[in-house]
Amino acid sequence: MQEPIISIRDLHTRYGNREVLKGINLDIYPYETLVILGRSGCGKSTLLRHLIGLNKPSQGDILIKNKNLVTASEQERDNILKNLGMLFQGSALFNSMTVGENVALPLKEHTPQPDSTIKIMTRIKLGLVGLAGFENFMPSELSGGMKKRAALARALAMDPEILFCDEPSAGLDPIVAAGIDHLVLKLKKAFKMTIVVVTHELESVFLIADRIALMHQGEFLFVGTKQEMKASDNPFVRQFLERRPDDDEVDKDKYLKSLVGTL
Amino acid sequence: MNLLTRTFSRAGQQFVEFAVHLARICQLCAQTLVWIFIGPLRGKKIRWHLTFIQIVRIGVNSVPITGIIIFCVGLIIAMQSAYQLERFGATIYVADLVGVSMTRELGPLITAIVIAGRSGSAIAAEIGTMKVAEEIDALKTMAMNPLGYLVVPRTLAMLIVLPCLTILADMLGILGGMTLAVVNLKIPFIAYFNQTASAILMKDFLTGLVKSFFFAIIISQIGVYQGFSVSGGAEGVGKSTTASVVSSIFLIILADLLFTMLFYSTL
Amino acid sequence: MNLEINVEESNGIVFLHIKGEVDLYSSPDVRKKIFEIVKHKAPVILVNLEQVKYMDSSGVATLIEGLQQSNKYNGRFALYGLQNNVKEVFELTRLDKIFAIYPDRDSAIGKKDA
Repeated sequence: MQEPIISIRDLHTRYGNREVLKGINLDIYPYETLVILGRSGCGKSTLLRHLIGLNKPSQGDILIKNKNLVTASEQERDNILKNLGMLFQGSALFNSMTVGENVALPLKEHTPQPDSTIKIMTRIKLGLVGLAGFENFMPSELSGGMKKRAALARALAMDPEILFCDEPSAGLDPIVAAGIDHLVLKLKKAFKMTIVVVTHELESVFLIADRIALMHQGEFLFVGTKQEMKASDNPFVRQFLERRPDDDEVDKDKYLKSLVGTL
Repeated sequence: MNLLTRTFSRAGQQFVEFAVHLARICQLCAQTLVWIFIGPLRGKKIRWHLTFIQIVRIGVNSVPITGIIIFCVGLIIAMQSAYQLERFGATIYVADLVGVSMTRELGPLITAIVIAGRSGSAIAAEIGTMKVAEEIDALKTMAMNPLGYLVVPRTLAMLIVLPCLTILADMLGILGGMTLAVVNLKIPFIAYFNQTASAILMKDFLTGLVKSFFFAIIISQIGVYQGFSVSGGAEGVGKSTTASVVSSIFLIILADLLFTMLFYSTL
Repeated sequence: MNLEINVEESNGIVFLHIKGEVDLYSSPDVRKKIFEIVKHKAPVILVNLEQVKYMDSSGVATLIEGLQQSNKYNGRFALYGLQNNVKEVFELTRLDKIFAIYPDRDSAIGKKDA
């Protein structure tokens, strides 16, 4: 068995009394595309924030290339983060900078590269995502899909080994969203990256995923390939795949109570 | 009784909240100052180009409005004091009054309040907007510390700019008083100038500058703190921006009171 | 650093042998060497990438700079011996269209007069 590039071990997160993640275990292997699937509020975004070092879990470990992100010092954490790229849901481009400056920023900050090389690298990355010639545009001048592409270029600036994507197709029309999905596929082939995608959109899942992890109420209900998922008879997996809404059972007393206050 | 306990518990709760905020601001402030003064020795760089941008934004662009306001305040003080001093035929002492009150008190204070309203709020709004748009998170995942990238340049710029603006304000305020004295009270320019020069002590001027340094820390740290504590979209940015102005002005006045008490009793 | 760069000159051709991984932190060394050679306006520069296991976009960008510099004085700047994954990086960025890329040393030299 190959050694995992990311290993999540017994991860718990609590906000007050509410347990958001209930002991998550997951191994992610090099060069695979893993999609973390789940409905809104299931804890998948929280998990992602842990993986990119934005939040600290209450308990448990996250090993990235055998280095523990949870217990790492500031310096160690920064070194781990330099190997990661992150595509935020809302793009999160720096609005005060041009697209080119956005992509160049991590390179200027962390590498000994001279400005002329950085400029060429920036143009290469923008060309890859189909934004050649847009380097002097401000993010506010771009459409939603172009912003996502620019953000992807920035996430790839440092040639990361692992790319995280948070809802890559959220808020985009179906055609633009499909374009982003195909772009991710192309980049995966080209850069030999490990890609972790968090989403709730089934179409893109089946297009880009090698493996799927289905999350429900802070736990993984299912981890496996697309085929395994389609064959699964877990009721929640079926409900998710068949897009059935929750059963609308009405507890008479509870309902009345919710309408009139105390009984 | 119910109302009484509720009022007290509300007041107590708000006091605790205030104390928590204050403690966090002090922590932020300590981190920032450590970065500025000790960081460079430990290989943490100060981004001078970003600091320069902030100096222009906070300082240079604030010169006109600060200048006009403080000039008007100079005029007002001169008029009010002339009204009193005329009765004793001592209008020449307008120069003393304007000069001393400008350098010791009004120059630093008015400048700080104008900058709190103009630039402190801008800092809060800018950082707040970045927080809402996940830009702060993006910085962190790129292994860039928002403290070094956002907070230090703004704080440093404020520390450089506010004392400079205060010196300018001192001069323009005195000029305001002088304008009234020369035009309206018919005091010769040179007489007013000499009177001012003999009235102001170096001490007056320096205590004003010391205050402005502390005001700079208050404005920048409150602005940054309010920016970082934004939650809940555009509405949150608005709330934090307002809060930054209100709380910085409050703390500026409070700090001013403390300093004046200190200088008054010791110097 | 796990990068070795050797310069060899024979018959007016400058060979740049690169060995190891060209990444964000090592490519400035490559750049320095290339710029030294380009400064003397070497008419033919051949970059040997046989021993390069990995090259990221900074390495590619560095080579583009070299090409650009040598084009300024109408020099010839070519690459040879690309390993598969390095070649893929060039293909993905469509830079295989810009560079003259040869499978090995002999074919790279042979093209000199063509």
